Amino acid sequence: MSIEIRAIGKRFGNFVALEDINLHIPTGELVALLGPSGCGKTTLLRIIAGMETADVGQVLFAGEETAHVHARDRKVGFVFQHYALFRHMSVFENVAFGLRVKARKVRPAEAEIHSRVMALLKLVQLDWLADRYPSQLSGGQRQRIALARALAVEPRVLLLDEPFGALDTQVRKELRRWLRRLHDEMQISSVFVTHDQEEALEVADRVVVMKQGRIEQIGSPDEVYSSPATPFVYQFLGNVNVFHSRVHGAWAEVAAERREDVPESAVTAFVRPHDIEIEHHPLTGGLEATVQEVHAIGPWVRVELAHASELIEVELTRERATILALAKGQQVWLKPRQIRVFAAPGKTMEEGGSGI
Amino acid sequence: MSASRRQILPGFGLSLACTLAYLSLLILLPLSGLAFRASHLSPAEFWAIATGERALASYRVTFGASLLAATVNAFFGLIVAWILVRYSFPGKRAIDALVDLPFALPTAVAGITLATLYADNGWIGRYLEPLGVKVAFTPFGIVVALTFIGLPFVVRTLQPVIEDIEPEVEEAAASLGASRWQTLIRVLFPAIFPALLTGFTLAFSRSVGEYGSVIFIAGNMPLISEITPLLIISKLEQYDVVGATALAMVMLVISFVMLLAVNALQWWAANRHSECSPSMGARR
Repeated sequence: MSIEIRAIGKRFGNFVALEDINLHIPTGELVALLGPSGCGKTTLLRIIAGMETADVGQVLFAGEETAHVHARDRKVGFVFQHYALFRHMSVFENVAFGLRVKARKVRPAEAEIHSRVMALLKLVQLDWLADRYPSQLSGGQRQRIALARALAVEPRVLLLDEPFGALDTQVRKELRRWLRRLHDEMQISSVFVTHDQEEALEVADRVVVMKQGRIEQIGSPDEVYSSPATPFVYQFLGNVNVFHSRVHGAWAEVAAERREDVPESAVTAFVRPHDIEIEHHPLTGGLEATVQEVHAIGPWVRVELAHASELIEVELTRERATILALAKGQQVWLKPRQIRVFAAPGKTMEEGGSGI
Repeated sequence: MSASRRQILPGFGLSLACTLAYLSLLILLPLSGLAFRASHLSPAEFWAIATGERALASYRVTFGASLLAATVNAFFGLIVAWILVRYSFPGKRAIDALVDLPFALPTAVAGITLATLYADNGWIGRYLEPLGVKVAFTPFGIVVALTFIGLPFVVRTLQPVIEDIEPEVEEAAASLGASRWQTLIRVLFPAIFPALLTGFTLAFSRSVGEYGSVIFIAGNMPLISEITPLLIISKLEQYDVVGATALAMVMLVISFVMLLAVNALQWWAANRHSECSPSMGARR
């Protein structure tokens, strides 16, 4: 079922939680709301679920206004960060809850409840835990049970609030893949909230980046990563080196040359660490720098360099690092492969050129 | 060999000894003295005193009124605790402090105050009188006094437990299609029930032993509004120490049995949710 969000606004006292949010989520799409804590992403999710009411704006499910539809009638599956399982019920009863509270007329027979719950538990691969209580499960297992419980009522929309936030890295990775698979099988619209950019980029069809109650950018994971619309998005999605034209004249100038409308001094250039090439010999338009630190981190080698008093971070592949054989204190030249220029803060955002 | 017995937390032996000595001194010693004193009576004499007409009537009044008061407190105490935990409103702290008042107030003061309020010409009693409701100097008055005494036990037991229930659990129930009523019955009440039982037990035990506040409002008419503790006192005043200990023994046994029963119920309520019951899934 599609979700349409129109001009949603929400305030808590003087604090603006959401302002003029517009978003369309077609059926079958998995959307990530990504942003730092306090950006309003959870509030937006709760408004979609009907647990919070918006001050202004509308939420439409399949084209129908939902303002007067109570949370329990929205057919929305909601998964909480801290699971919110019913502690005094067995795993089986937790999953069966949504079926048992249905009105007598539409409530499935006991045998059907049993088979449906067991099928769901099989789907989350935890059917062997049916008789346990939540306190006896691990975090990852609890979250899978919470998901099975949400799916039991056959929701039209699945909403997940930082579903993997309380789990450790290994379990997170596994559950991410598994959520993706599940979403594809169930044919529903899903929205999940996260502050983990890696999670959003890996799982979602589309990523909505939010900041201080506003949407900064909506796009595919590749779009938001490789062509961020604003400096904030650039910085939030992965590491980035920021160059101000005052300090890094050569680089910023090159990029700014194509933009006659922006005064050179008002330009900021963004370059990802893995988009910088290191050479031992001088380059035209290259930036001279001194090697400060070399760390091998997993598949990458991270090099910290100093230009004037500024720190620049570069990520190299292991092969490249072996060829370069960098040593502390060495003089090298940097060349950006990809560069993006924005007007300095206070000015309107500008499209930047890329490459030199 | 000593390694297998080593405990991570030190001082178990010492603290256990302390606990046992303390409990013996405070509870076991006086109680065994009581039992010893009562054993001076022959079984037939004991039985005659314990089942005397006045004694039987006083048990009924004491335990009946306590049970009623504890039940009333369980119900309203739950509401008070819920309000104090879940909502914020002006004056909340004042109300929270007010709950403790029955703890702190000397029971005699409470008894006199209640008796004055509910007397025929008292602030409340004068409006109840025309309706034919007599509170002061009747068994009903005893219930009122015991309710006053027992309230904080229920509220203070429930508060931390209600605080422990995340609001998310209610939201989860709502998103699964449960009505408020279903959420209350199926989700919230089972979580609160063990604590409610504890609060009920505490309020009840307190009421059974209450003396100070009751004697002022009860009227103390034999067979009607005379509580067992008062009967014990009056026996002592007549230097009938043995008779008083016999009655005390009866109270002790009844209280002990009731507490045991409630504790067993509580244990069952608290444990059925955390233990694995393999038959459950198969049954459904």
